[in-house]
Amino acid sequence: MVNRRFAVRAKLSLAFAALCALALPAAAQAPGAGIPGADELGLPPPPTEYPAEKPVGTSAGPATQDVLLKGPANPAQWLHYGGDYRNFRNSPVKSITPANARGLRVAWSAPTGTLGQFSTSPVVYGGVMYFTTSYNRLMAVDAKTGKFLWRYDVKLQPDMKICCGPANRGVAIGGDYVVMATLDARLIAFDRTTGKVAWDTQMIPYKDGYSSTSAPLIVNSMVFIGFAGGEFGASGLIDGYDLKTGKRLWRTHTVAQPGDPNNKSWAGDSWKSGGSPSWNTGAYDAETNTLFWTTGNPSPDWNGDARAGDNLYSDSVLALDPKTGKMKWYFQFTPHDMWDFDGNTQIFLVDTWYNGKKIKALAQPNRNGFFYLLDRTTGKFLRATQYVEQLDWAKGVDAKGRPIVDPSAYPTDKGSRRVCPSNMGGMNGSWTGAYDPSANLIFVPTVEACQSLTKGIAVYVKGIPYYGGTPTMVDSVQGKGYGTISAIDVATGQVKWRYRDPQPMMAGAVATAGGVMFTSTVDGEAIALNQANGERLWSFRMGGSGRGQPIVYEIDGQPYVAVPSGGWAAMGMMTGKYPMAPEGGQLFVFTLDK
Amino acid sequence: MTAHRSSAAAVIAAAGLLLAAVTAGRANGNEAPATAADPVPALLNSPPDVARGRALFVGTCGAYCHHMTPGPGDAPYLFDCDWLHGGSDAEIFHTISAGVPNTRMVAFGGALPDQDIWRLVAYVRSASTCVK
Repeated sequence: MVNRRFAVRAKLSLAFAALCALALPAAAQAPGAGIPGADELGLPPPPTEYPAEKPVGTSAGPATQDVLLKGPANPAQWLHYGGDYRNFRNSPVKSITPANARGLRVAWSAPTGTLGQFSTSPVVYGGVMYFTTSYNRLMAVDAKTGKFLWRYDVKLQPDMKICCGPANRGVAIGGDYVVMATLDARLIAFDRTTGKVAWDTQMIPYKDGYSSTSAPLIVNSMVFIGFAGGEFGASGLIDGYDLKTGKRLWRTHTVAQPGDPNNKSWAGDSWKSGGSPSWNTGAYDAETNTLFWTTGNPSPDWNGDARAGDNLYSDSVLALDPKTGKMKWYFQFTPHDMWDFDGNTQIFLVDTWYNGKKIKALAQPNRNGFFYLLDRTTGKFLRATQYVEQLDWAKGVDAKGRPIVDPSAYPTDKGSRRVCPSNMGGMNGSWTGAYDPSANLIFVPTVEACQSLTKGIAVYVKGIPYYGGTPTMVDSVQGKGYGTISAIDVATGQVKWRYRDPQPMMAGAVATAGGVMFTSTVDGEAIALNQANGERLWSFRMGGSGRGQPIVYEIDGQPYVAVPSGGWAAMGMMTGKYPMAPEGGQLFVFTLDK
Repeated sequence: MTAHRSSAAAVIAAAGLLLAAVTAGRANGNEAPATAADPVPALLNSPPDVARGRALFVGTCGAYCHHMTPGPGDAPYLFDCDWLHGGSDAEIFHTISAGVPNTRMVAFGGALPDQDIWRLVAYVRSASTCVK
């Protein structure tokens, strides 16, 4: 009797499991791109490739290395995610000033047709603007009029491994190619004049937990790109590819491998799932031919029990030989990180004064709330100052730049005390800052919202989340989170002025030679600030949450300011307010009439 | 012979019921049957199992995905009464196991042992604020 019942139950369980497996629906078309109601109308799915009717952008020749190096001085262009190789995001456009900025008006606008954050930094070259959307659509539009010239929608996989929204931060341009990295870990090059695919390389299996969200960096016909995936324990990598063929030239591990003495900075086998992802665009110093790249937090984020040690090279800046990917030096900002303080916020290659001497520096407003100054020729630590208003995970840094951690800030099983800054930062690698060389000021959009950290169990299996814990946004939940644009004096590390917003500021910034900088707010406004004192000069309610990187350029004497609008609702948790504005990307371009 | 035929008949009858349940479920938009043996009630009476479920939730499901407090996001709040893919223990197990295509919800089946997935279901039940 008992045996028969057991046999029946076993067969039921098997049947259940089999039916469970069969219930998976087939892969759908591009996610976030569905047309509500289309199925009922019997419409066919729209085309996903729209090549140019005739070649565009031909007023400019190929974007050679000379163009990429010197071109940022040309106000008609915006060539790099960081504005130039030094990441200044400073346009030479002079015609927008504190006196006339209030006259800015909408010139044109363009939709993305996708949901999730619209975090692109557009590229402008040869009169064409190239911008990417969430879910990897690539649009080429006339930079003056906004008219669509060509378009390509990447067909993505239905089972991608992404932690933090379907973002893409832009293309890189080089030669006659524009290159985009995808959420399913591909690198795709397009002919910039026609929109046709030149090559499409699967960089690494996305099922292992990898995706790529950042704008690549192109130097001397090499394409440099990093990956996201630390939240899946996917081991960090920085790759270099041949611009013409898409073949991989080198790959550098961001986790110290066996054979590297620094592998011992990981207890046991924890290096194998060490994360330390490379998900932000680096910088390039032409003078010393050095590629700089940053790394994110060690995995799992909030549980360090199994990974005793400093966990190199997580939360670091690496100086690499661009030809081989070999490391020249490194500096680690946050050893044995337990707060998800990715070390990959924007690095600025600034020349500045320090102790009476002019030095070649690397400055970074770090996720951990400190503003670092390093000597970029040697990696020597010079100074770290607090740039956020609230910081209590550490009591400062020592003479070598090592944080003096307050142990009461560590995550616990029951939940830690309130810890500042939150895992969002400070600043975050998903948005940009800008630098004004004439004033030696770096403008940083910041989040001021502290958290409590609870530790949990993470099991490493390729492709599943590997967090080790959960932060609770205690400030945001009480409506106490806020944000600023903080102007940091590079010479002293002190904050000169702050513009305040009642919500965290999570969109990028651009500065201009005219003294007016631009950013956007989580609440949905594009704003202009006076670079001298942070005075708000102008605003426009775009409607969608600001998460994009604005740019400025000038064509035929007319200045244009491009600002993406459109957020990701899950980020609402970081602000504590339920965002009423629906998701949906829209690019706004503003201009000024004489 | 008689014993075998009755057991075969029982299986066929059970499979038929299962098929009916699935078909009915599919018609309602649900995707998983609800008649297999359910380990959750026993797990709910076992504090170490619920504790492991909680620790797994905190370390694997929380953070950038399911939050511990209500709020906006593509990964829904799991401690209320609303379920997108069915709210029975078996349906929740299925959602965790199979994932949800075209979303950030990955398939944990085969990665986490089934028993750990059941512990997650038990924890979510134990922490639910749904009053029914």
